[in-house]
Amino acid sequence: MKKILIIDDDQFFSKTLETALPKERYELISAEDGEVGLEKLKSEKPDLIILDLMMPKLDGTSFLKKLQEDNDLPKVPILVSSNLSSVKKISDVMSMGVVGYVIKSDESLQSIIQDIDRVLGEDTTKGE
Amino acid sequence: MNIALLSGAIMSLILISIALILAVFVFYFYFLFKKRGREIIKEREESTRRIYELAILKELGERVGYSLDVEEILQIITGSLKQFIDYTAVGYIVVTPEKIKINTHIEKSVSHLFLKEMKDKMTASLSALTDQTFDKFKLDEVVSGAIVIDEIKQNIGSLFNIPLVISGKVVGVLTVAHINKGLYKEDDMTILYKITNQASEAVTRLHEVVRIEKGKLNAMVESMQDGVLMVDMDYRVVVANPAIKKIIKFEVTKDINIFDFVDTLGGKFDIHGRLEEALVNKKIFVSERININDSFFEIGVYPVLHYNPKGESQMHGAVVVFNDISKDIELERVREEFTGMIVHELRSPLDGIKKITESVVAGNIDKNSDKFDEYLKLIYQGSASMLELVNDILDLSKLQSGKFEVRKEQANLKEVINNRVSFYKVSADVKKIGLETYLDDSLPELAEFDPQTLKQILNNFLSNSLKFTSVNGLILVSAFVYDPREHFPKNFDRSKVPVFPEEKDIKVKAPSLCVVVSDTGIGIPEDSIKDLFHTFKQAKLSPEDGENKGTGLGLVIAKGIAEAHGGAIGLVSKEGFGTSFFFTIPLN
Repeated sequence: MKKILIIDDDQFFSKTLETALPKERYELISAEDGEVGLEKLKSEKPDLIILDLMMPKLDGTSFLKKLQEDNDLPKVPILVSSNLSSVKKISDVMSMGVVGYVIKSDESLQSIIQDIDRVLGEDTTKGE
Repeated sequence: MNIALLSGAIMSLILISIALILAVFVFYFYFLFKKRGREIIKEREESTRRIYELAILKELGERVGYSLDVEEILQIITGSLKQFIDYTAVGYIVVTPEKIKINTHIEKSVSHLFLKEMKDKMTASLSALTDQTFDKFKLDEVVSGAIVIDEIKQNIGSLFNIPLVISGKVVGVLTVAHINKGLYKEDDMTILYKITNQASEAVTRLHEVVRIEKGKLNAMVESMQDGVLMVDMDYRVVVANPAIKKIIKFEVTKDINIFDFVDTLGGKFDIHGRLEEALVNKKIFVSERININDSFFEIGVYPVLHYNPKGESQMHGAVVVFNDISKDIELERVREEFTGMIVHELRSPLDGIKKITESVVAGNIDKNSDKFDEYLKLIYQGSASMLELVNDILDLSKLQSGKFEVRKEQANLKEVINNRVSFYKVSADVKKIGLETYLDDSLPELAEFDPQTLKQILNNFLSNSLKFTSVNGLILVSAFVYDPREHFPKNFDRSKVPVFPEEKDIKVKAPSLCVVVSDTGIGIPEDSIKDLFHTFKQAKLSPEDGENKGTGLGLVIAKGIAEAHGGAIGLVSKEGFGTSFFFTIPLN
């Protein structure tokens, strides 16, 4: 059982993802902004973080900066999922050591779950 | 006989007397006429001289024309001098910042000694007039005219000097010399003095014109925001305004040379090469954006050509203009960010709706479960917020293109406020926030405004206040007529809310309706306030409940509505205490 922390103020996304994630393999914890996300990162020690960028209080980019600066924080793979689609934004974020960038509206829930599977090594698809 | 003798004597006496009287008369008239004749001759001479003087002055005036060159003028004067003054030699001395120039024209051959004496007298005269010595000055000497013959042992007999004054400063001396003694009369000197004076005045006037024009140009270049640099044909800096020195971080008061630019610009911009292109090939060059010390510039290099009336061009140098485009780039970035934000805000709810549908279609959600109801609510919220955003964007584009319409009619402000307050009362109650109104007696029953758009402003103010005010807070909507010649209504208790505009905050020129929505919310940081009404730069504020995010477009639209009514919008805020938003509508 892998623990996933989703940091996103978009309730649609966290709720639908929770519904779609296979419950036998994943446990989903959600945080509505970066500050809550930091606390939950320390207390819950997740295996993966799904991070939104545009959020109140502490946004995704600032969250990533904090992770880079603070060595005491656990190193967890981060998958960024956002509706921001500017090339500059994507390349900026990719350079901050994240494992992937998903433009939410361009991906279905299923394909996002496949990305999660791949990152966590739980590849269940019989890929080519 | 005696009688005859006597009578004869008497007769002759009478005759003599008559003759004498006649003679006296004749002499008297003779002298009278003679005197008159002399006067006539003198007058004739005088007028001839005058006509001559005028003719010379006119000729000089024409020849001097618009020349600003002192030497040229002196040459013209000395050249036309012999028409009315007899001289052996004529010359002038002029002083420039680094040297003195002496130019002598010999009419009749003289010795070197004569010339030296004349030169010494000229220098002494200039020295006395300018109160300065010229021993250390470089001397340029030109002698023209008749040949110098040292055998002629004649010294200067007569000499006089006329100073040349330009703009109140002695710049030279004109000297006329003759071998004969006592030759020059007051009159001769007066004429020459007049001529020189006239020429000086003309040049002084021209200098003044040039000085004023130059001053205007200098002031213009000095005060320009763009950096301006001009070099002459030898790459010497002719003009470098304060802006350009600031750009390359050079001390404004110091003199700058082209190498200071080459050093600072380094590999970013080949200033020497571009200047060479302009000076040699008359080529214009405008650069791409170049980054210098945190700012962005477009650098233009242009040849400076002067076209004379014949259409021939003459190269004077080249000018370099540093155009600061940092603001344009910043605006571009802000616009991009804004577009990105709008796209994000539209995409999120749409994507949410799509994902919910995806889950439902995939059979992940039981249609009879609570979860299904929750999802339906989410879909409703998402589509509502999206619709709001789309409406805001439409309003905004109308405002920006000037097509936003307000339909003014006779309407009742109290009714409009009560209507909105009762609408938001429900949400306020849910959040346990007090929502009160104060409608002053000064409010007229009817006033001229567009009730629909005013409702829009109130919607924005009230929903913002609700968003940023926590449980047990208070929102107060107050409305009154504010006459700038008088004070706010006295019977109104403003102490209920922590922040309320002062009279100085509400800038109106005529009596106006004034509506204030005050809250006990989180307040707005001071540095965010200025961006609140900016189309592309709304302050990113964190609402109390985290659920209601806004794009901040509402305030920009509210501002547009108030302004379309001829009114204004504003706010006062204290972080941690509360905020008051207000708008005014002038009463006609």
